[in-house]
Amino acid sequence: MLRSGADLPVDSLQGQEGNDLTDLSQYLPILLFLGIALILSAAFVFLPMGVSRLTGTHNPTVNKLTEYECGFPAFEDSRSQFDVRFYLVAILFIIFDLEAAFLFPWAVSLNEIGWTGWVTMMIFLFELIVGFAYAWKLGALDWE
Amino acid sequence: MSVGNSLYLVAPEIILSASGLLLLLIGAWGGFKSARLVSILAVTALFASSAVALEFLLNPAFAEGGDAFFGQYRLDKFGSLTKLLIYISAIVSIIIAPRFFDNVAGGRSAVMRPEYPVLIVFAAIGMGMMVSAVDLMTLYIGLELNSLAAYVLASFLRNDERSAEAGLKYFVLGGLASGILLFGMSLLYGFTGTTNFNAINQAFESGLSTGALFGLIFVLAGMAFKISAVPFHMWTPDVYEGAPTPVTTFFATAPKVAALALTMRLAIEAFGSQIAAWQQIIIFIALASIVVGAAGAIGQTNIKRLLAYSSINNVGFILIGLAAANQAGASAMLVYLMIYVAMTLGSFVAVLDLRDADGNQVEEISSLAGLSKSRPGLAAAIAIFMFSLAGIPPLFGFWGKFLVFEAAVQADLILLAALGIAASVIGAFYYLKVIKVMYFDESADVVVKSDSKSHAVIIALCALFVSPLGYLLIPVLGNIADQAAAALFWAL
Repeated sequence: MLRSGADLPVDSLQGQEGNDLTDLSQYLPILLFLGIALILSAAFVFLPMGVSRLTGTHNPTVNKLTEYECGFPAFEDSRSQFDVRFYLVAILFIIFDLEAAFLFPWAVSLNEIGWTGWVTMMIFLFELIVGFAYAWKLGALDWE
Repeated sequence: MSVGNSLYLVAPEIILSASGLLLLLIGAWGGFKSARLVSILAVTALFASSAVALEFLLNPAFAEGGDAFFGQYRLDKFGSLTKLLIYISAIVSIIIAPRFFDNVAGGRSAVMRPEYPVLIVFAAIGMGMMVSAVDLMTLYIGLELNSLAAYVLASFLRNDERSAEAGLKYFVLGGLASGILLFGMSLLYGFTGTTNFNAINQAFESGLSTGALFGLIFVLAGMAFKISAVPFHMWTPDVYEGAPTPVTTFFATAPKVAALALTMRLAIEAFGSQIAAWQQIIIFIALASIVVGAAGAIGQTNIKRLLAYSSINNVGFILIGLAAANQAGASAMLVYLMIYVAMTLGSFVAVLDLRDADGNQVEEISSLAGLSKSRPGLAAAIAIFMFSLAGIPPLFGFWGKFLVFEAAVQADLILLAALGIAASVIGAFYYLKVIKVMYFDESADVVVKSDSKSHAVIIALCALFVSPLGYLLIPVLGNIADQAAAALFWAL
């Protein structure tokens, strides 16, 4: 249930006093969901491992076992040099990727929020474009 | 309320947003050369927003204020008054910057960048949102807009190790504080079913569940970090010391005002029906800030660190007004904040004016020795600020302390007031030590003359405000602060 705040009467928002514990029963679905998710995700991890061992594709080599994170070996001397540009790209990606997180709910509710909502989103996109233009002009997008 | 009307009420923020975006593009295409133009335009925009805020504050047509964006944002006298303080601090922080950045390391390594005024403008938008927020959503967006700009500002001299360290430290601890705040906000929402301050207050009237109590505590802990109150003060000395001095000037004034105003609004409008729940917390952090701020400053040799501890100390005194939890206390806090901004701006600009013969900034207190002979005017100004920060009577700083203690006594918090007064005596020690070094120590001949007119004007104005002449302003300031404090209690 979505609660929209100020205009609901307060009594309906807060459980009767002393009933806080029994109120927890309404969270049973999420508890079940978490339990099932845990079991399923464990199965997704361990089932292929077991299957591969049993079927004989289990053949580890040094290169296969090396871990990579963002293009770097994961366990190394932390004082080694790395290219800071990876992070610049990652940050830019996050900024312009999050925009999509706002666009989806906006798009499906456009009927209700009308022209006001449309104009607001256009202003938001314009602000992002200003930031994009700034990053572009300063050379944040040039690799060399 | 129509959207057009809402937009009208947020006019100060809209002016700053539009000009911030425009200035960003001017800065990107104009390069370093445009820094001067961007600074001038940013100051103009801040002046325009101040004028609008002043209009909202003084025009009787806006006496009632109004809610914008369906109860997300409220225009009232409280918000307008604190916004004025914020914009003034931002204007000063921009005016003093070019001289500092053009002379870093004798003018070799760094120049003023056009991004500096832009970031200050963005931070000012965020702080304007903070002081007008009447919903947890607006609160958080304003807080983050301000914080993100502040993290960048702290590490603005990125080739300087101390500045980079200050920025990183501020970022990591600020992120942690935001997390704590968000956790508290989610608990509050979970247990009251609303993010609106007034609705939270109504929900609290029927009792405070344990979960909501935890939410309240986490939110207050997050806010205590932002106002650098003990026990969440540990970042303050390092960040204030490491950040470039104009940025420190900004940090010590505008975000402090915004975060304190937000704490007041939260405590009174959102948690006002459960005063007993937060009053003891505020009393504790007020006393702890006063004592730790005073004791920590004693051993400091760097004047910026000393002023950082001084700001922790002053936040403690301001919070005494909040502990009183009544209108007189809120009004006293606002008067104290106005005086605090003037004292802090003055002392940081005075520190900025201290340069040796090579053009390097002088930050060691021992280097101030004999300042009374080489620069008598500056020494007198610093002495005025120090005496005022210590709360010694003829100066205006005393009046702020007097008002908060009076409010505490009226609210039957006599023990709190007595402890606060006792602790302010410890604080007086290190302020007087600076004065002693300037006036009575063997001259160190480090500081040379400065030719900056803008510094001189700002220092003189601030010194005039905190001098005994400031008492002439009491009827005006007291009246405005009373009205602003009444706006805070209007909803109750």
